[in-house]
Amino acid sequence: MKKFPSTALGEKLQPVFAGWRKGAITLSSLVVKNVKNQYRRSVLGILWTVLNPLLNMLVMAFVFSSIFGRAGIEMDYPVYVLSGNIVFTLFSAASSNAMTCIVNNYDLLYKTKVPFSVFPLSQIFSACVNFLFSLIALVAVMLIRIPNGVTFHWSMLMILVPWLPAMLLFTAGVSYFLCTLYVRFRDIKHIYSVILRLWMYLTPIFYSLSSLKLSETANEIMQLNPLLHYLNYFRNIISGVIPDWREHLIVYGVGAGVFAIGWLIFRLSRNKFILHI
Amino acid sequence: MAKNSLYAVAADNFRKDPDLLVDAKNVCMQFKMPSERIDNIKEFAIKLIKRKIKYKKFDVLKNVEFSVSRGESLALIGRNGAGKSTLLKIIAGIITPTDGFVLTKGNVVPLLKLGAGFDMNASGKENIFLNGAMMGFSHREMQKKYDSIVAFSELEDFINAPLKNYSSGMISRLGFAIAVDVNPDLMLIDEVLGVGDIPFRNKCAAKIDELKRGGTTFIVVSHSMSQIMTLCQKAVYLENGSIKMQGDVKEVAKAYVADCEKLGIKTQK
Repeated sequence: MKKFPSTALGEKLQPVFAGWRKGAITLSSLVVKNVKNQYRRSVLGILWTVLNPLLNMLVMAFVFSSIFGRAGIEMDYPVYVLSGNIVFTLFSAASSNAMTCIVNNYDLLYKTKVPFSVFPLSQIFSACVNFLFSLIALVAVMLIRIPNGVTFHWSMLMILVPWLPAMLLFTAGVSYFLCTLYVRFRDIKHIYSVILRLWMYLTPIFYSLSSLKLSETANEIMQLNPLLHYLNYFRNIISGVIPDWREHLIVYGVGAGVFAIGWLIFRLSRNKFILHI
Repeated sequence: MAKNSLYAVAADNFRKDPDLLVDAKNVCMQFKMPSERIDNIKEFAIKLIKRKIKYKKFDVLKNVEFSVSRGESLALIGRNGAGKSTLLKIIAGIITPTDGFVLTKGNVVPLLKLGAGFDMNASGKENIFLNGAMMGFSHREMQKKYDSIVAFSELEDFINAPLKNYSSGMISRLGFAIAVDVNPDLMLIDEVLGVGDIPFRNKCAAKIDELKRGGTTFIVVSHSMSQIMTLCQKAVYLENGSIKMQGDVKEVAKAYVADCEKLGIKTQK
């Protein structure tokens, strides 16, 4: 016979901790599974997470440096393109995979006791693991470009803290919102792929905003794109510029706000998922 | 307010009684189904403007009340669509009822589908750890269970092969082996007994018996009357979401079989 603790506080807190622990175990094993499955049966395996952004960067650097020119970019162009690319990939991969995960894991959700919120989160962390691998690619490119004037700065460590948590907050908020919406409307998948494409071109990944010679109003509208701020922050700390308190306020404010809204929508609709899946 | 105080009283009583494992009070589950399925925005917008979204209310469960004491296994019987599986999911805490509540105590393990969450691309070994993680067991905890799980499933030779190369019987065996290698207070089983070949079935029956002697209480959904008679002491007979009868398993099963025979349906003996 098993005994149950009878103290009032223990009784209240124990299930909470047990639940958190369980969620963390499930989350980590799902992330491992996602990352492993990505490159299962490929010869180079996990190496692709480093190679992929590198090859992408080569294509983009080759194509866009001749088309758009490098006007207004002080940074080394390959580093500029690669940094834009890996930041945007982190966001787009996480949000588009998280969007479909509730529907795709229907079986697991209604046959086991795994909390729903773990699934979008597992996709976000999987994308985050891929992002960390692609940082290796970034460092490699920066090393190669040292003769061209690239220097390393200690501020680059700020990628891990405080940049990454803010970025993940923002991504998680968008992801929770999208996966809730996707349960209700399957059209979102198609609409979102178009939106992502547009979003990619509106974010200065391979061009610089100043080279567009936008009017002041247009420039202000472009500043409403949260990803632009996350990307600028990222590039600043790579090139040794520590962003001022305003940029911190923006990335954390937007991140926390978007997360709160996305999470709230997810929580409120969670019990109705079964009706629409 | 009234509902909250009712809940508080019931929860208090439930906590005080150490032998009570499950207490279901006035459980109702209502699905609001749109009369036609709308899953794209265009249709939704048009219908919303025209105010044409009609919902059909559908009661899956109506005022279900029962309790389960430790060591008193319960069978849920009834025809297809009577609400048995939904009730099991509510007890497991997977879905929340629209009204009423179910209180449970201790470690509740749902076994609603064998191998739910298996990754077909991963090997049997990886799946043991993955499935364990879904139940909240860390890698180290699963390491301790690993050998006994593999031995029970009799899959030693195939454990490193990807699951997609397994036969369906082998997948069920692995799922069952992982699920029963915990020592739950309450186990919820939805028609998953009787998998694999005859020797494995006997092994499962022996394992269930062992768990039962070890103090596990079962709530079983099954259409096999002989199975529930040996496993359970009590039964709840659901019809169209309401409890038609509950009490001793023999009497309830007899009434259910009689009802089915009236309809000209033969039940498994």
